[in-house]
Amino acid sequence: MTRDLHSIVLNVNGDEVTVRVEARQTLAGMLRDQLGLTGTNLGCEHGVCGACTVLLGGRTARSCTLLAVQANGRSVTTVEGLAADGDPLHPVQQAFADHHALQCGFCTPGFLLTTIEYLDEEPEADPDSIRERLSANLCRCTGYHNIVAAVKDLLERRTGR
Amino acid sequence: MKQVGEALPRREDGRLLRGRARYMADLAFDDSLDAIVVRSPFARARILSIDASAALAADGVVAVLTADDLVGVEPALTRQFYSLTPAFIERHQVFLGPYREPVLARDRVSRMGEPVAFLIATDRRAAEDAAELVEVDYEPLDPIVDPLRAIAPGSDLVVSDVPGNIQASFHIIVGDPTSAVEAAERKVSGRFRIGRSVGSPIETRGAVGIPATGSEPLTVWSSTQIPHILRAYLAEFLRCPEEDLRVAAPDMGGSFGGGIYAEELLVAFAARLLGQPVRWLEDRRENLANARHSRDQIIDALLAYDTSGSFRALEMHIVQDCGSANLFGLTLPFNIASHARGQFAIDHFDVTGLCVLTNKTRNTPVRGAGRPEATFVLDRLVDMAATDLGIDPADLRHRNLIPAREMPRDMGMLYRDGAPMVYDSGDFPDQLRTALEAFDYWGKRRRQDEAAGSNLALGIGVSSHVEATGLGPHETARVEIDDSGTVVLTCGSNPHGQSHATTLAQVAGETLGIRYDRIETRFGDTGLLERGGGTFGSRSAVTAGAVVHGASVELRRRILDLASEMLECDPADLIIRDGYVSPRGVPGISVSFAELATGGAPLRAEDEFVPPTVTLGSGTHIASVAVDRETGVVNLTGYVVVDDCGTVLNPMVVDGQQHGGVAHGIGNALLEEAVYDEGGQLLSGTFIDYLLPTAADVPDIEIIHRPHPTPLNTLGVKGAGEGSTASAPGAIANAVVDALRPLRIEINELPITPQRLVELIRAAEAEQVEGLAGN
Ligand code: FES
Ligand code: FES
Repeated sequence: MTRDLHSIVLNVNGDEVTVRVEARQTLAGMLRDQLGLTGTNLGCEHGVCGACTVLLGGRTARSCTLLAVQANGRSVTTVEGLAADGDPLHPVQQAFADHHALQCGFCTPGFLLTTIEYLDEEPEADPDSIRERLSANLCRCTGYHNIVAAVKDLLERRTGR
Repeated sequence: MKQVGEALPRREDGRLLRGRARYMADLAFDDSLDAIVVRSPFARARILSIDASAALAADGVVAVLTADDLVGVEPALTRQFYSLTPAFIERHQVFLGPYREPVLARDRVSRMGEPVAFLIATDRRAAEDAAELVEVDYEPLDPIVDPLRAIAPGSDLVVSDVPGNIQASFHIIVGDPTSAVEAAERKVSGRFRIGRSVGSPIETRGAVGIPATGSEPLTVWSSTQIPHILRAYLAEFLRCPEEDLRVAAPDMGGSFGGGIYAEELLVAFAARLLGQPVRWLEDRRENLANARHSRDQIIDALLAYDTSGSFRALEMHIVQDCGSANLFGLTLPFNIASHARGQFAIDHFDVTGLCVLTNKTRNTPVRGAGRPEATFVLDRLVDMAATDLGIDPADLRHRNLIPAREMPRDMGMLYRDGAPMVYDSGDFPDQLRTALEAFDYWGKRRRQDEAAGSNLALGIGVSSHVEATGLGPHETARVEIDDSGTVVLTCGSNPHGQSHATTLAQVAGETLGIRYDRIETRFGDTGLLERGGGTFGSRSAVTAGAVVHGASVELRRRILDLASEMLECDPADLIIRDGYVSPRGVPGISVSFAELATGGAPLRAEDEFVPPTVTLGSGTHIASVAVDRETGVVNLTGYVVVDDCGTVLNPMVVDGQQHGGVAHGIGNALLEEAVYDEGGQLLSGTFIDYLLPTAADVPDIEIIHRPHPTPLNTLGVKGAGEGSTASAPGAIANAVVDALRPLRIEINELPITPQRLVELIRAAEAEQVEGLAGN
């Protein structure tokens, strides 16, 4: 097996980084193993569970099925990029805490980033669309009830409804 | 400060939300090697030879271990979970055959996915590449997949020393069921099938073995629910004293079902052999094929009653498909039996249970563990009886619930722990009334008919369950004040989402007079606590809650004794607030925990809680559904839970457990099925085929607490983690049948997939047409 390395440059959580990766290295693998950003979790590595969701150029992407080289020249946001250590939580993180929208927390980074994209794309969204939108991510602990409540709260605060 | 019972925010969340959790795959150890399991592709085969030479020669490969390499250790697991008392064995006619589960297969494999070799390489990719080079020569044999065929005379045997493929069995008789059934005026009966499902935490399993160094013993980090029990199994396997081992659990991404797995043993063996840390991380395909399979029963059941609607007797015959080995003994079918009568007064009862071996993955108790199965069968029988009698199911239920005045009620049998099974507390009729009211049951019933006619059929279903919780044998906790004055709480039970660091700290904090979020908590590490139980069977709030309370009461006594000397004041006149002790009414004079801790004598209390037996949680659920008659798709439109888990430690946390349990039950009811073909090949190997419920599959869930604290522990707590899974399948199945009542279909099988439902609908329609033609 050849292990040629490719040099890629990308912006991760606001910092420009240069990484040397194997062609077959996944984006998740690079983030976790090479950059030490272990907040991005792997639940299925099949593109189904959404635990590995990151923002790539502001849009959600499954970092388990993307190759690191595909992120060359792009910007990536992981859960670690939402609030610096010591800073207050990002409003979406805070809403999840307020509503007990996480238990084991393994799915949580993915849900946070999915929610951020959702609020960004559809700031006026009808709360009835929340469940459909969140169905891209799997959670085994919460039964989704409190995740939906957190997202609803965020939407309502935006629209003043 | 009052803390117990308050919806205090979780202390776990900050780390988890910031991506700072340390799950198994996040732990890093210097010089760590990565292992991969080479698994059997066949359900049943002879192993003729294993040739690892090509794999060994591959880049990065360090070792390939097969059964022959497991020298100086026990080659197989042979000790089943939970021992049974002689009195229990005699009373319930228990038969228990031998259990043997090879750590690595030697000359035969008995399920797809069985570990055959453990390949260790410098990194995971090298291991994955090389695994394909391990050449195993198999002679495939016809697998035994259907449990009914497995117990038919003349069947091949899954293992040679389990004749008839029946590994264990029991027979419970309460009252005089034969006469009661004979004398009863009416009966309903059916054969029910509960599909095999998979626990499916979003984190897969993993384990790391770390060789002993000067000061540290051989250590295993594992995503286990039971670190202390795993240590006992490891000691047996490695033939060493338990003191020579440490087992610890990192943050865990859920679990939902326990057990001991070969991989946890192999990382320890490999690390000891190679002198380097060895890590094994599972992928999702491995997880779905090998871990935490559960349910999978065929249950023949009969309910006998009078035309007045009074239940007389219940009979059940349970065939439990255990897969290729039965680590858990009677647990699953006996759980079905002990929860089979639910909340109803049924004096005559006859249940047999068979644990049957087949060439499938080993079965394990997963969230609910027998309770969803028992509840589904009983719920269906009750609704069938209601239809037969022409009365509303809610009415029929009400007539037969055990009244509150009959609590505690001896159920005339023993529980698995050998103690008489007694329903200790609860008010079932109040629970049902509360649920009916909250759901607006009668109002919805009236409006239901108005909506008839469209393609969407609307139905309502009720379910009620009991849940024996807080299983022993014991749990340990230590509460202490360290040199800096920090209160440190250490407990054997470890969390995987259940919020121990919040709820148990609330218990300790309220007792000790310090805010819960100032207490440091440590869980699930045998290096910190010599004994411990674990987290299973909805036991933690009960057993860990009680033991943390006990230890905290003792520590409080010591704090007050010490402070009374320092302040020269009677302990009874002292109060503690925010970590300061002062004479009542004299806040100006005080001594802090830190000052007390520097006094010399260690301020520490350790306690062990041995529950007398289980305590009974219960719940009533009502679901409404819209069924598409064309596609067979079932949509949940409403869901109400009324729950009794005794004293509620933190309502926010308990509600979260209930939501998750209901969603798990919805998965079991409608979506989740681990499917094997006739060749014993698992067809549902990814999350594309094995469907977990998504946010769109789960409705808003209303939860109402009607707590009746148990007298069996000082806090009055009953478990809450699993019960909500129990009622969802029954409530949903009853609602679907109700929606389609003009067709008079019966739902006897879970999950109710669209395909199954469309078949039932078409068959019923055809029958109706035939009936009309015949008239
Ligand atoms: S790990 Fe990427 S979608 Fe599941
Ligand atoms: S919180 Fe555990 S999987 Fe979502």
